[in-house]
Amino acid sequence: MRNGAVAGGRGRDAVSDAGGLSWRGTGTVAAVVAYLLFAYYVAHGSLYLQSLILVAAIFGILAVSLDLVAGVTGLYSLGHAGLFAIAAYATTILYNDHHWNLFVLLPVSIVGVGLVGLVLGSLSLRVSGLYFAITTFVFTLVVAVVASDFRFTGGFSGLIGPIFPDFPGSLSWAGKSLIWCAMVALLVATLLSLGIRRSPLYAVLLAIRDAEPFAAAAGARTALVKICLFGVSAAMAGAAGWLFSFQGIISPGQFSWSVSVNILVMVILGGMNTTIGPVLGAAFITIFPVQVNINAFWQEVLFGGLFVTVITLYPAGFLGFVYAVGRRASRLVRQLTGRSPQPVSLPVVPEDTGPVEIAAVEAAAREGAEHPEAVPAPPAVADHDGTPAVDCRGIVFAYSKGTPVLNGVDFVVKKATIHGLIGPNGSGKTTLVDLIAGRRRPLRGTIALDGEQFEQAGQPARARHGVMRTFQAAVLVRQLPALDNVAVGLYSRFPRIALRAPFWPVLPSGRRDGRTMRRNAREALDFVGAREWERARVADVPHGVEQLTQLAAACVAGPSTIILDEPLAGLSPKEVEHVAGILVELKTAGVSVILIEHQPRFVFALCDEVTVLNAGEVVATGPAAQVRADARVREVYLGQ
Amino acid sequence: MLQVLVSGLAIGAIYGLVGMGYAIVFYVTRVINFAEGQLLMVAVMVAAAIARSGVSPVIAVLGGIGAAVVAGVATYLLAVRPVLAFDRFSFAWLVSTLGVALILENIAAIIWGPTSRPFPTLLAGTSVHIGSATLTLQEVVTIAVAVGLAIVFEVVRTRTLFGKVGMAIAFDPEMASAVGANATLVAIVAFALGGLLAGVGGVMIGPITYANPYLGDNYGIVGFVALMIGGTERPVAAMGGGLLLGVLAEGANHFINTQASDWFPFVVVVAILLLVPEGLFSIGAPLRSLVRSVLKPRTASS
Repeated sequence: MRNGAVAGGRGRDAVSDAGGLSWRGTGTVAAVVAYLLFAYYVAHGSLYLQSLILVAAIFGILAVSLDLVAGVTGLYSLGHAGLFAIAAYATTILYNDHHWNLFVLLPVSIVGVGLVGLVLGSLSLRVSGLYFAITTFVFTLVVAVVASDFRFTGGFSGLIGPIFPDFPGSLSWAGKSLIWCAMVALLVATLLSLGIRRSPLYAVLLAIRDAEPFAAAAGARTALVKICLFGVSAAMAGAAGWLFSFQGIISPGQFSWSVSVNILVMVILGGMNTTIGPVLGAAFITIFPVQVNINAFWQEVLFGGLFVTVITLYPAGFLGFVYAVGRRASRLVRQLTGRSPQPVSLPVVPEDTGPVEIAAVEAAAREGAEHPEAVPAPPAVADHDGTPAVDCRGIVFAYSKGTPVLNGVDFVVKKATIHGLIGPNGSGKTTLVDLIAGRRRPLRGTIALDGEQFEQAGQPARARHGVMRTFQAAVLVRQLPALDNVAVGLYSRFPRIALRAPFWPVLPSGRRDGRTMRRNAREALDFVGAREWERARVADVPHGVEQLTQLAAACVAGPSTIILDEPLAGLSPKEVEHVAGILVELKTAGVSVILIEHQPRFVFALCDEVTVLNAGEVVATGPAAQVRADARVREVYLGQ
Repeated sequence: MLQVLVSGLAIGAIYGLVGMGYAIVFYVTRVINFAEGQLLMVAVMVAAAIARSGVSPVIAVLGGIGAAVVAGVATYLLAVRPVLAFDRFSFAWLVSTLGVALILENIAAIIWGPTSRPFPTLLAGTSVHIGSATLTLQEVVTIAVAVGLAIVFEVVRTRTLFGKVGMAIAFDPEMASAVGANATLVAIVAFALGGLLAGVGGVMIGPITYANPYLGDNYGIVGFVALMIGGTERPVAAMGGGLLLGVLAEGANHFINTQASDWFPFVVVVAILLLVPEGLFSIGAPLRSLVRSVLKPRTASS
């Protein structure tokens, strides 16, 4: 278990060779065997040990389920005590009063609480993360109030739970059945969470947490994914609640709001987003007070002191601390053995280039034209039938009532061309590409992509259609390697990633698609010339590589139209030249490129056509040379 | 009916004070201090202990409030500041402030025992008649102090440089520091005020509840509910939320059954979270103007 978790906690980093996988697989299997031996030991242990481990396992499931939303997507649910209570009460009441079968009640609990989670999630994820925390907190308060103030829940004294049936005679060698049930449930919950962390969905989820526009541009339905993930987490809490009902008496005090916070403490204490950390945290918090048998008040004081010291001194939690030590140690070992990676600069940069001249850009263009085969997964070759790649007509858009940001804009991008979009700050360039990429909807006007109407379609539909984009300020998952960030761009290209995610490591299709995705991502990084940064965390790479990673993430899915929002901002002249070369290669491969840029020299040298926006209206549009000569453009934009 | 209204306002004023304590801390630091209810308890316990040693109740009450202020500042320095220094956007303070709540509650139980103790009475038990309703002098003073403090805070927030610095820090601490605001100092003051408000609430409710180390749980939650009803945008909104909550709870007791105030506030807060997530009295809330016009006669009567 530990080994598997350590690998999982580091994220699916670039280790991709079959050897690495099988090593990890073996480790996981060995850990599972050790875990089952431990379960066997407990199932034959004393009643004291059994009750201790039972509660620890139940809270382990809760902590794993909470970590899934809190650690991976940053949604701090304080509703888990309430969700867990619903299942425990429902199981007890339906069994005691209505004589339902206990094993029918397990799926009922899982599905029922999962549905409650979906409803709660869809109601509370409307505003913000804090609002989510507060709404779920109130949810727990309400459940506790219902439990203590109504007769059917037994009021403050609670209800006596059902008794879990023992194993039949032929299986009685296995020991206490309830312990097995709890331990297997915890194992299943942990493996599901591990599966999600090893799947391509993981990077997308982190992107939803840290860089939501990036995830959305890659075609992820971010709101739906969040709600469904919370539903899955709630379903796990339902299973935990079902188990909890067998532990004796259930009463409102066991499900108070402080239990919700306690579960969060378990997650943070063990190490957020580390798969196994929450289980360790749950074990510690449930076992520690029983083992350290001191005065109840001092024990609570000790607990409180522990919360404060752990959180203030090491907020990454126990496993976060272990990983940090591990990383430092491995860096030290690499240094001692002389295997530290050489510092690399942007690989593409010829040493002797001075300030970039337009001629150099044109040279890059020629060079790109000579090597069109370098483009990964070329899209359907442009057939030049005259249908424009992007055809916007009469676009009107305003952020708030009153001043329109775009006012009757017509914008046409021909296939397999580079189309420059320029204009002063605040002229509506980014807004226009947001509308084309589907991040916002126009108030009026039509948007056709390759002849199909798209103005009311969402971002996922447009991503599937082949519209990809980058953002002005690079938004990437900083804790993940460049390669994994690029793979996020493939989200719309592989079917049902989210549905397959929990079972990813054991699905043959998952392994196959995982390999393909890594290969494609690597090719895309190669294409933009950042291959040697594939394993570096984005937090550690220079700005230029960050921009290239974004570009690779937009290219990797073989887009038909690619929108680049100031891809040259903050790049050195050499890097600018390099990016210009990439754009020309894309064009040669049949991709339509929309380029927002401020540096006129590059725009006019690089683009086939240029549109100039000013104050939400098109000033000029047409072939670059013609636009450049336009008197109004010179006045508005070039300041001549 | 009028009795329900004024009794509700009296208890709602306490909820509102605790809610404002939450709100001021949240407003400046974006932290919900889960130990806020325990600060109220600290004031009550310390005041009771001082009074027991025979000094005048006034000194006891001031000592209690002072203890709550000190505990509030200590919470910030020990449990919140280190967490925010690590990551300003993390929610780790959920855990550390809960830890402080546990520590305060149980140390109080260790020192003074888990049972209730007498609390000094500041004001003699004279009654005040408002129309057909009767209030104790204590309750009248409570309402007056709470509403007065709410008004003072709103004026300080919007009319003084200090209040505006608070707004700036709430919006973007880095930017505010860059123009010379001392974000740490303002945060300390916010936590001190959080302690002060909880402390005032504590010494006001002490004569009714007596001194008990577990007072913080209940008032902490109800104060939080008051914050949610009012909205987090402006501290004064929490006072509105508290008063409304007090009247609704009192009304529920009167018109539904005597236990209804246990659950009725939650029904209200769920409805509000679903319909007006920003809180009833926050800026731009759709129901705000409507509610305001409905509430006007009542606020006038207080």
